[in-house]
Amino acid sequence: MNLVKKLVTWARIKSPWIIHFNTGACNACDIEIVAALTPRFDIERFGILLKGTPRHADVLVCSGPVTRQIQDRLVRIYEQMPEPKFVIAVGTCACSGGVFGGCYNVKGGIDSVLPVAAYVPGCPASPAAIIDGVVKLLTSLEGKKLLAAAEAPAEPMEAERHG
Amino acid sequence: MANEENIRQELATKFPFMAEKIEIRRERRVFAEVSADRFMEVFEHAAVAMGFAHLCTITGLDEGENLAFVYHLARPDGTILNIKMTLPKAKPVIKTISGIFPGGAIYEREVADLLGAQVEGLPPGKRYPLPDNWPAGQYPLRKDWKPEMLDDAGFSKGEMKNG
Repeated sequence: MNLVKKLVTWARIKSPWIIHFNTGACNACDIEIVAALTPRFDIERFGILLKGTPRHADVLVCSGPVTRQIQDRLVRIYEQMPEPKFVIAVGTCACSGGVFGGCYNVKGGIDSVLPVAAYVPGCPASPAAIIDGVVKLLTSLEGKKLLAAAEAPAEPMEAERHG
Repeated sequence: MANEENIRQELATKFPFMAEKIEIRRERRVFAEVSADRFMEVFEHAAVAMGFAHLCTITGLDEGENLAFVYHLARPDGTILNIKMTLPKAKPVIKTISGIFPGGAIYEREVADLLGAQVEGLPPGKRYPLPDNWPAGQYPLRKDWKPEMLDDAGFSKGEMKNG
């Protein structure tokens, strides 16, 4: 059993599949995420693949503040992902709400709705910073030093989840 | 400025009650103020008979005691006619112009959602642009509105529709 677990962790770290979701970003972080994936920075060479559906993904990469309209959709997408799952917040807005914090239509950072495993600040977060965030997340899995958020039960933090 | 002068002349002769409230602020920019009860006839005449066949947008203004709505009409020669009407904030009832400009309904939904205008004759539909579960009676672009007036509990928790 232990061997199987080790094998699964190994496979997961060697090839984490991601889904990218824009929760209300201005598109700058999205472009940086695409830049990180495509040949110039090319994190695909490490087996990190962008998938078209949350059902195939291990990591949810979110950019932008959570708008009140997208909140339910974000939770729905998170719930479609198989366990275990991790959320990366890319960009200052995703980390804290950024310049949009306190807006009438903005809920806040990603962590106001979902447990976040890694924060990548920056406006926009540069591809190098995104790679650093991904590496830190994967190292934390490898060293069995799961980040607090990733260890928590994979439930949205708010009791008001629905949809 | 012969062109602008013609517009002023035509409006002034057709609608003598607003003759003093037509202003040519600069080249190709004509401003007119109309009382709310005579608004529709002036608007319809400008849109249908005078060739102002393009509704650029509707501007909503919070002027303290009153709400003002500016309808920006354009025609192919580049002239823009801005028709403004002012209504008391307590009862801001405007009539829909979607009979003349069907696309204008979306601007009317905006002033209804963000400033609390009551649009008479607007076909029923979803909220726009605020989130579907936005609490009733909150108009975020009014000057006396503060983000603190939003209570997360006020958001309805119904099953989300349309994805």
